[in-house]
Amino acid sequence: MAADPVAAPAVRQSRRRLRWSVGMLALPIGAWLIFFFIVPFGLILWYSFGEKPSLYVTHSNDVLSLDRYLEAVSPAFLQTFGRTLEISVVGTVLCLLIAFPMAYWMATKLSPSRQGLVLALVLIPYWTNFLVRTIGWQITLSPEGFLSEGLQALGLRDGPLEVLYTMPAVQLGVVYNYLPLMILPLYVALERMDHRLLEASRDLGANAVESFRRVTLPLALPGIAAGMLLVFVPLMGDYITPSVLGGAQGGMVGQMVAGQFNRAQNWALGSAMAVILMLAILAVVVLFVLVARLFGFVVRRVQHVDLTAVLPAQGAAR
Amino acid sequence: MTGLRTDAGVAGAVAARSGGERPSPGAAPDAPPVPRRRRRSPTDVLIAIWGVLGLLFLFFPVLVIIVYSFNTGRQLRSWDGFGFSSYENALGNPTIVATIQVSILAAAGSAVVSTILGSLAGVALARRPSARWVGWLTLLLGLIMVTPEIVNAVSLLPWFVDLSNTWHLSIFAIGQVRLIVAHSLFSCAVVTFIVRARMAGVDESLEEAAADLGAPPVRRFLDITFPLMRPAVISGALLSFTLSLDNTVLSSFVSVAGSTPWPVYVFASLRSTLRPEIAAVSTLMLGLTLVALALVGLVLRRAQKTTGDSGGGLAATLVG
Repeated sequence: MAADPVAAPAVRQSRRRLRWSVGMLALPIGAWLIFFFIVPFGLILWYSFGEKPSLYVTHSNDVLSLDRYLEAVSPAFLQTFGRTLEISVVGTVLCLLIAFPMAYWMATKLSPSRQGLVLALVLIPYWTNFLVRTIGWQITLSPEGFLSEGLQALGLRDGPLEVLYTMPAVQLGVVYNYLPLMILPLYVALERMDHRLLEASRDLGANAVESFRRVTLPLALPGIAAGMLLVFVPLMGDYITPSVLGGAQGGMVGQMVAGQFNRAQNWALGSAMAVILMLAILAVVVLFVLVARLFGFVVRRVQHVDLTAVLPAQGAAR
Repeated sequence: MTGLRTDAGVAGAVAARSGGERPSPGAAPDAPPVPRRRRRSPTDVLIAIWGVLGLLFLFFPVLVIIVYSFNTGRQLRSWDGFGFSSYENALGNPTIVATIQVSILAAAGSAVVSTILGSLAGVALARRPSARWVGWLTLLLGLIMVTPEIVNAVSLLPWFVDLSNTWHLSIFAIGQVRLIVAHSLFSCAVVTFIVRARMAGVDESLEEAAADLGAPPVRRFLDITFPLMRPAVISGALLSFTLSLDNTVLSSFVSVAGSTPWPVYVFASLRSTLRPEIAAVSTLMLGLTLVALALVGLVLRRAQKTTGDSGGGLAATLVG
């Protein structure tokens, strides 16, 4: 068959057909996502330029304006938005501070079999319902709960615990809920790290702090960036945690958006708020990626020998 | 795959281990020294303590829920006494049983849809990393990952209403269908990334060889491509299933009266009274999840022996 001169073009043709058919495999997901993600978002974008014409109608696009956006950025909304941003930024930083030593311990101090065990332990709570875990904190923090009574019995508190339905309770809840999302990427980044690099840096005279700063931290940067994004983005839009733990004092933007669609039945205003939330998150993500790129670039420039001078071909390829 | 694999053995030992013995490296001090590990410094001990405390923190509310599931009182929050009444009441409550059925059906449906869509796209992305559509698809998937659930939820609600009322597509008036569609969006992005990560390292020449030997596309896929991506497909399906079971926000917006999934039932009872039945059902579901994970872990372990997957794979695939 190989000797047959007709075989060669046939092979090429079958390769081309293979190439074409593999690309087609992405079509269903593209169609699915456009129909159930892009179009619905376009719909609320459209609604956000409309209005709520009367008490019993949710929206109307007879008159187009930007009024809903002006209405959305009310002082109450801005205050909640600011609180949401604060909770998200503080939550992301706290997650990083708690998760980094944990991931470092898992990746560098444990034997591989222990690593598997601890990884499973990190993931098991994550597979319990998000809402139910948050209710676990509600039970714990409630004024008549066991923690409150235990603290009073020990004489550490005079009155009942007054944390539930405040901003600190929401802060605790979100740090808890999103911690695994920070641990996992950090663990992956640190686990891939070559331990000989650390030994080399110690052998070359660097102390522990310096090795950490010059070797571990730069190698963990992709994990840190991924973890921060994975935590920050869902945190900004969180609606469950503040509903369970927040009460009136700890509300977040997600609840305001939901309220316009549920209780107020003002889809136009709710859409405008949703669009603002979406744009804010996109802006933060884009800004974050840019800063991370810049930071990585600076770190590389400062800490590494420029190999492109030595290996011009490789430099050109990048 | 490590996480899944070890679940089998550890499920029972979890509580005891995280509570008592500290899993520290290096074992006994007089054991022969492990190469590349010097003596344990105070920093190492501090880091180990921090790690164990972190694990306790992660388990804390889960343990609270498990303990309070044995509360015999009327309210979940106030402890009355120890007993199994909540389990009896939960399983004897037709509303609760119905919500769990809805949840499981939605999770299975969304797992099927997102696994099919995501696996196909994952293969396409891994095989054609430089095609023109790749950038657009990656952007689309990235957008799904960064869209807050609440925005997704409020945009799907009017769309489903439109589809069923204005376009007369009555299928979108069915609560179960809405749940499956809504839950599949995020999951199929996750499955895509998992399958792409798996297939990125696999050589295409096997498929080309099969094509040259005259195998039709379907045969090629079933005999060559699918066995290669099976571990990724299984963990993707499992992840979509659990993500769907977990979903509260999307469900509470798109679900229709009569097809309320379990988390929405819990969320609704937050406004009235939380009863111990909720903790009982959650404990049962955690148990079932662990059993399911253990089974999948066994399957993957068998697959691992033949394909030689390395540790940390699950975390890597989870992250994408």
